[in-house]
Amino acid sequence: MKKIESLYPDYDVLALRDEWDANTRTIVNKRLGPFQFQVLSGRQQELVKAVATQVAVEDREEVLTWIAAHVDEQLSTAQGESQRKPGIPPRRELILTGLEALDEWAKGKFFKGFLSIKPEQQLEFLELLEVGGLPQENGWDTERQKELFKKLASLIISAEYSHPWVWSEIGYGGPAYPRGYVRVELGLTDPWEPKPSVDSGKGEGR
Amino acid sequence: MTDSDSRQRCCDHYHRERYPHLEKRKFGGEEADAVIVGLGAAGGVLLYELAKAGLDVVGIEAGPFWDPQSDFASDELHAQTLAWNDTRLSTGQNALQFGANNSGRGVGGGTVHFTGVFYRFQESDFRVRTLDGTAEDWPISYEDLAPYYDKIENEIKVSGPREFPWGPFHGPYPYPERSPISGNAEIFRRGCEALGIRSTTAPLAILSAPFDARPPCINRGFCNQGCLPNAKFSTLIHHVPKAIALGAEVLSDSMVTRILVDQRGRVSGVEFNHDGRYYEQKAKVVIVSAFAVETPRLLLNSACSQFPDGLANSSGLVGKYLMPHSGHDVYARFDQEIRLYKGTPVLAVSQDFYGTDPNRDFIRGYSLHAHGSRPLGMAVKAATNAGIWGRRLREIMLHWNYYARITLVGEVLPEITNCVTLSGETDEYGLPRAEVHFAYGENDQKLINHGIQKCREILGAVGGRDAFVVPDSAHLMGGCRMGDDPSRSVVNKFCQSHDIPNLYICDASVFVTSGAANPTETVMALAARTADHIIREGKKQG
Repeated sequence: MKKIESLYPDYDVLALRDEWDANTRTIVNKRLGPFQFQVLSGRQQELVKAVATQVAVEDREEVLTWIAAHVDEQLSTAQGESQRKPGIPPRRELILTGLEALDEWAKGKFFKGFLSIKPEQQLEFLELLEVGGLPQENGWDTERQKELFKKLASLIISAEYSHPWVWSEIGYGGPAYPRGYVRVELGLTDPWEPKPSVDSGKGEGR
Repeated sequence: MTDSDSRQRCCDHYHRERYPHLEKRKFGGEEADAVIVGLGAAGGVLLYELAKAGLDVVGIEAGPFWDPQSDFASDELHAQTLAWNDTRLSTGQNALQFGANNSGRGVGGGTVHFTGVFYRFQESDFRVRTLDGTAEDWPISYEDLAPYYDKIENEIKVSGPREFPWGPFHGPYPYPERSPISGNAEIFRRGCEALGIRSTTAPLAILSAPFDARPPCINRGFCNQGCLPNAKFSTLIHHVPKAIALGAEVLSDSMVTRILVDQRGRVSGVEFNHDGRYYEQKAKVVIVSAFAVETPRLLLNSACSQFPDGLANSSGLVGKYLMPHSGHDVYARFDQEIRLYKGTPVLAVSQDFYGTDPNRDFIRGYSLHAHGSRPLGMAVKAATNAGIWGRRLREIMLHWNYYARITLVGEVLPEITNCVTLSGETDEYGLPRAEVHFAYGENDQKLINHGIQKCREILGAVGGRDAFVVPDSAHLMGGCRMGDDPSRSVVNKFCQSHDIPNLYICDASVFVTSGAANPTETVMALAARTADHIIREGKKQG
């Protein structure tokens, strides 16, 4: 499959970080590691990374590790999960048991764990999980499968698009306090903002 | 932070020192004139207005007393801590999302992370029963709120267009309109122009010039993540500090767990939890301003022998008729860079589709907003609400600078089945969690479809293509609606509960219908009006 390229290959948002306020700088720097895990075992971390590889189309080990670390942090916090459907286990239990279930589903079909099947098979599993189409065993009814996908995808995509390497890649100007954005009009950019290397917005539609 | 007692977690948000306010309470051993539960849009205004009138007033807030400089950051992920993330059980065909989607936590409440769009409701919003034969009329009219809209706009120096074309108020606004507008707002206005749709710059609670030692907006774009320069209004930086200077007391990190009732059946104060310990605050008047989920929840959780179904609930309507706005996003791709991340998110709007149009097959209407975004917000909602993830999401996000977005603020009609009730599951205080049921009705769906189509046309008129829709909702209203008839409403037209004269409910939960406009200005106008009423009543009683 064709790799989708960044329009801003020379842009590095981290080169701008001296312009950010100290609090933001500290927060973003932490996403570069090192990380400490409190909840996820080594194998569970690998399962999260395998899911993230498909959901976020991410293949850089550093970014995947940050994604796993973010999932770990969210599962270890006492903070609530904003909303949950009745009958669905709390997020931590849902995700921890869900990672194991992914492995079981893979074994049921391919006699191999989720980490050992091919990437396209992993993708197929996740597409089924999203609509609740995996075997409904051990309490994993349609609703629970869908919620597992939603909660995992939300955590993974949140982390992916909070990583400064990804900000660079998509051409996001990023944090801008205290200096702000001055030229906000259509077609104008501040001198430090990324410029596309080729005007390839006209490229492939979707 | 430890997991051992999650009731203490909220006290660790501070990066600076906290002051030991529970050891130095101003009215700890005595009866205050008023205690306010929740210091958001409504609670902040009430605290200030009552303090200004010389009342001994205490505001109790479940979350922290934020310091923007040390607690806010230019970061979407970090900003998730500003939301009310306590778990609510969410059910129904269109189960609602809470947290940052609509619920604030900490002093300032939702005003800390609102977009700053500052609309008045229109005359028809208060008379849906009369005009459209459904829902219910408000017990007040636009004219009742108009002086309070004036007051609030002037007090916080709302910026707005020279001529606002819709509704009864056409300006002028206290401060000039924001200029320049962003690329996304420009595309929206051009698209509207091409189709003969009127658009204007947005009326905003965001400064366009200096005021009160605060600077104008620097177009950083993080209105929903907490404003660092203090250019955007919040009750955290405006009403609450001014109220404290006038003698009001704020107890933050303190979760009100129960409203106390005396033997005469009047409320006598509240019980609250701070760092795992329980305290009481006695007061002559209790005002609940905890928003559309926590307000009904607290009233229901305060059931006692005199009021076994919860306080102010003789009508059985506490928690009923909850309404969000439909908030669907329509994105389209352009041949030039739009850069959604730059500037105040909402800088251009149209209300050409507001209210009922007899030529449409649904009643009521919607507002349209040019609506900027940051990467996380766009990508997460696409994945979880629209099923766009994997390779398709990656392709979109690598071109995200080429996307424009329009967001719908659609009126949702009140239904008794859309409601807040108590679930069988308890939280860390041992209190039943809220369970919220929501489903759109047929009219709501038709309205949404119409709005989405209009967004597609506007974007398409100026070259937008490959449009996609992300279903979403915004704001919450209703749950303790106001009315003249105690059997059909929870509070009267001054937000005073029908059942208990010294219990007031003042926040978005008193809304009878949802309008199609962001509710914050109406919440604040109602709060200012309620404050006047409480002050008048207090004077009568000497």
